[in-house]
Amino acid sequence: MSEGTTKTRAEAATPPAPSRHLFPRWLNYLLPALALAALGGGVYVPVLFGFGASPKTLAVGYQPTQPVPYSHALHAGKLKIDCRYCHTTVEKTGFAALPATQTCMNCHARIKTESPALKPVFDSWSTGMPVTWVKVHNLAQYVYFNHSAHVTHGVGCVSCHGRVDRMDVVTQVQPLSMGWCLECHRNPELNLRPRDQITNLGWTPPAQTDAERLAYGLDLKKQYGIRDVTYLTSCYTCHR
Amino acid sequence: MPSINHHVTGIEYWRSLEQLADAPEVLDALDKEFPGYEADTIASSSRRGFLKLMGASLALAGIGLTGCRRWPEEHLAPYSSNPRGRIPGVPEQYATMWELGGVASGLLVTSYDGRPIKIEGNPTHPSSWTVKGKIGSADGFAQASLLEMYDPQRSAKVVARTKTGEKRDSTWKAFESFASKHFGEQKADGSGFAILSESSSSLSVADQKKRLLAAFPKAQWFEYEPLTRDGERDGAKTAFGRPVRPVLHLDKAAIVVTLDADLLSTHPAHVRYAADWSARRRSADPSGEKPGEMSRVYVAECGFSITGSVADERLPIDPSRIYPVAKSLAARLGVTGVTSDEHLSEMEEKWVASAAADLKQAGSAGVVAVGPAAPPHAHALGYAMNQAIGAVGNTVMLVEEQEADRPSHFQAIADLAGQITSGKITTLLIIGGNPAYDAPADLAFAKAIESVPVTVRLGLYEDETSAVCKWHLPRAHYLESWGDARSWDGTAGIVQPLILPLYGGKSAIEILAIFSGESETAGEQIVRRTWKPLLKGDDFDLEFRRVLEAGVLEGSEFPAAKVEPRAVSYPAAEPRRPGLYIRFEPDAHTYDGRFANNGWLQETPDPLTKLLWENAANFSKKDADALGVTTDDVVSISVNGATLPVAVYVLVGQPVGVIGLSLGYGRTVSGNIGNDLGFNTYLLRTSNAPYSILAAEVRKTSESHELVMTQNHHLIDSVGAAGRDKRIGEKYESGKIIHEASFAAYKANPGAALGGRTVGLQLFDPPNQFNSPHAWGMTIDLNTCIGCNACAVACQAENNIPIVGKQQCRKHREMNWIRIDRYFKGAPDDPRPEVIYQPMACQHCENAPCEQVCPVGATMHDSEGLNTMVYNRCIGTRYCSNNCPYKVRRFNYFDYHSQDPRHTGMPWNNLPDNQQMETVDKIKRMVFNPEVTVRMRGVMEKCTYCVQRIHRTATAKRAEGKDVEDGDIITACQQACPTQAIVFGNLNDADAEVTKLQKNPRAYAVLDATLDTRPRTRYLAKIRNPAATETAKEA
Repeated sequence: MSEGTTKTRAEAATPPAPSRHLFPRWLNYLLPALALAALGGGVYVPVLFGFGASPKTLAVGYQPTQPVPYSHALHAGKLKIDCRYCHTTVEKTGFAALPATQTCMNCHARIKTESPALKPVFDSWSTGMPVTWVKVHNLAQYVYFNHSAHVTHGVGCVSCHGRVDRMDVVTQVQPLSMGWCLECHRNPELNLRPRDQITNLGWTPPAQTDAERLAYGLDLKKQYGIRDVTYLTSCYTCHR
Repeated sequence: MPSINHHVTGIEYWRSLEQLADAPEVLDALDKEFPGYEADTIASSSRRGFLKLMGASLALAGIGLTGCRRWPEEHLAPYSSNPRGRIPGVPEQYATMWELGGVASGLLVTSYDGRPIKIEGNPTHPSSWTVKGKIGSADGFAQASLLEMYDPQRSAKVVARTKTGEKRDSTWKAFESFASKHFGEQKADGSGFAILSESSSSLSVADQKKRLLAAFPKAQWFEYEPLTRDGERDGAKTAFGRPVRPVLHLDKAAIVVTLDADLLSTHPAHVRYAADWSARRRSADPSGEKPGEMSRVYVAECGFSITGSVADERLPIDPSRIYPVAKSLAARLGVTGVTSDEHLSEMEEKWVASAAADLKQAGSAGVVAVGPAAPPHAHALGYAMNQAIGAVGNTVMLVEEQEADRPSHFQAIADLAGQITSGKITTLLIIGGNPAYDAPADLAFAKAIESVPVTVRLGLYEDETSAVCKWHLPRAHYLESWGDARSWDGTAGIVQPLILPLYGGKSAIEILAIFSGESETAGEQIVRRTWKPLLKGDDFDLEFRRVLEAGVLEGSEFPAAKVEPRAVSYPAAEPRRPGLYIRFEPDAHTYDGRFANNGWLQETPDPLTKLLWENAANFSKKDADALGVTTDDVVSISVNGATLPVAVYVLVGQPVGVIGLSLGYGRTVSGNIGNDLGFNTYLLRTSNAPYSILAAEVRKTSESHELVMTQNHHLIDSVGAAGRDKRIGEKYESGKIIHEASFAAYKANPGAALGGRTVGLQLFDPPNQFNSPHAWGMTIDLNTCIGCNACAVACQAENNIPIVGKQQCRKHREMNWIRIDRYFKGAPDDPRPEVIYQPMACQHCENAPCEQVCPVGATMHDSEGLNTMVYNRCIGTRYCSNNCPYKVRRFNYFDYHSQDPRHTGMPWNNLPDNQQMETVDKIKRMVFNPEVTVRMRGVMEKCTYCVQRIHRTATAKRAEGKDVEDGDIITACQQACPTQAIVFGNLNDADAEVTKLQKNPRAYAVLDATLDTRPRTRYLAKIRNPAATETAKEA
């Protein structure tokens, strides 16, 4: 403080010397501030991109609007229609086929025949042109996912698709990233269930403790003849 | 830089004369991993420019947030009503047939969600099976015809030309109204109406022809095919008075003698012949079908064909010598009326004596085959010889020919040309073919067509012939249309469409129906009408569907011909005239020119010359030296007043005194791919000498032409191995990539196949076995490989491999995952060099050199022994390729798929940089196999052992709770191989064929002894069966 007063007095006495006071005083704080920003930014940017660009943020919750407000909650949940009634090929082929309009018409030829929401379905039925659905669970083109390989070996629908029977509009609930896939490919036992419970989205394992769950899963793993971890994590298992 | 010195070894097997002579460009190619890649010539010029580009790309990467954006919204469109049995995403196979040169073969076409994506042979069709009922093979042309269907440059419009030659687009409607008017007037007469058709075995075409000629009684039907087999018909006429067709059974033949007959490659039945031939070659092994009864093949030929290259005793002679050689052979076999008064050269004498002795001994297990270019009397001799040894009825079946009374193709077209010139023809309908381009030059056929008032042309492409016709009509591809056809042995089948016509074309039978003014113009109904009387059984529809499903009508072979040989008087052979013979040959890329716009075929190297994208004049070393020319020099060849400058290719083993000219290049109106490539040798071909002719003059010119060939590309460097061997005193053997032995030596001691070499001791056990749950492996039998390229085309189609264009091929950048290395053995001027074909693809080394150098782990091993290539990890360092001793890795220098590679005017020194251009053509991309990633620029790729096929089968089997069995998984190359030289399977399975073959005494791994790569692909040594090996050794 005393220095400050001295300075003020000196300034008053003599005109300021411009060459010695080129920079304002606050600039003294710039360097530490910059250092702090660099440090903070070094944390902030990776955190921002790490979480912001992660499939968990970007992909989970994807909920496109479909041409027909078809409710899985109603059909699969309330009416308890089995997944395979519509997705017929899921046990036989890589691609879980979407139902042909004909499948809808099995019931809707008689039910809600006047509903405006079902107009695209009726149009498709009369013209023969498809209903164009928007794909929700979309993997990269270089991933060759095969439904039949999973559902015939004890991986239930719910593991990847979530409680579709409670969704009015289908939403992506899992990141479907490579890291996420590998979690299960490394330890498949925790996601295995009996064959007759594959499409039962509300199934819970008959186990009280984690150890019991693990033992149950390992037993199923043996029963299904699931490949070892080296095979399941080989590149060509999913990519070609 | 390490110096390379081949003289350490004095290489025994060599790919080219240049390699043998240590030419600088070959040493350079060995020395540098990426020849033709001169960074300086491609790099951007200035530092400023570099910074600008880097800044811009950084900014774009940032703004676009390419890494963290949700990919575009995708849609799913299910059927409105599901077709019966159709499961989306599951490929289906349909049987059909296709015709080349009027002879059909059975095919099985894979269709993926309605798009045909792969063509294979039909295993239930006698023309195509290699393992009856299990594996069917199709040749390169048949497989590549798929690309032809998707060719965006295929004709898509009806085109009309005014009298002044002005071209305008028209419609089918306009044409039909013109046709009904024009032909309505001519009805019931038809004088002046001529039809020029390509050769066809179709029953429906024959029926339509009958109907047309009934509607126009005075109309004339001509048939022309430039690569005709009418020589054989003429020969049979000489022998029996009428044409018959010989059908051979090479699986029963112990001794095969061919006189200028290329049975294994250009013969219409070559797929089946090759399969049958290979059965008797496998008999070399004790485990073969007839152990110890390996066949011996004698080939006398005027070029260098595939059959010649795998012959045990080959005799290269000029065309004038075929007849005297045949005559001497016949005389020795005791054919009546033949006296051996011909003077033979020492080489000929030896060949004839040995062949005659063997044929006599073999009796009915011998066979003599004579090629279409041989003179009629040589054919008569061939029939007589088969009769004399009792082969007819056993190895040779004589069956009835179709249309026995038609004139030969060259007579027909000469007759038509004459009638046009004299003004007798007023309306000409041309179905298929391309006569304006490929008719004999002396007929000036293009001019003749132009002088006809009304000309209608039905063609797949708007080509040279369309350019001189008044109407051009787009033809439906065989994959788009209904039809029927017969194979070489006469077996009939139905051609069924796999897709609706992409470009609105119509098939030949539909066009003929329009011309005849028939009410039925739908292809399917026409075919059903033709087949109605053929099928027995009450339910025609059911029977028809049965034939459709099988692709073959059982028991429909041509009936045996009951013919008695006539007494033929055989004239004395004409003395050989001095000079060089020109011999016209089918082209390995374009056949007769029709596949000029087919990139897959253009970029598949010729089996022997390894030329790409063009043809050349094949000279023997001796003739080239005498003329003072070498490969790439241009000579001017004159004959019959025509002169053609053509580049020389010195082909080791080409008969002295013969210039081999392949037909089918120099197209001017074919499309972006095929225009202005190579040399149009049709200009030298005349109707009186369509097969060979003595050149009037062959003169050296001062010009040169840089031919593109792959024989020195991807050379395997065995120099290091040789150096090591020298140091440790081994007899320069461990670096050997080829092993072979004579049958006699192999029979006496199976170890002789590998020269007594044993695998060195391992100091430690391999750390990983890579065998869980399967251990994939492959064997390739050098003894049965005929270098036919069927595997290469199959691989290209299966694995979405791009073509790169001629310029890029010159820089060693061809992308074929499987290349067929062709090695010669012998002195450079040896008239009879030995040839070995070695298909080379990724060896899936257990100890893979490529994996050890990849900085990003983009190439790794999987648990089943596959060397995996992960495209989305690859950053394009190319270290892996550099470190691969087999040179089987291919790098995407550009986005080769994006655009026609022959477009120029792009940036990057006119290199086809398509990165900035629009994406892959909408139609072209329909050909892609959806189970294989389409690679982009900057990534490495290579053979995957068809991992998509492995996974498809294994997953489907597992879903049923089963494991794969031997023979369930067939790789694309194995599938296509007509001789089953390639076998793939699970090495964990002790009973699998591949496991047994890998234990064969002939099995060896290339370079394994020196580099310890432990490849999963093993080769089986070649076994030759030369005559009298013992005496040859003494000599």
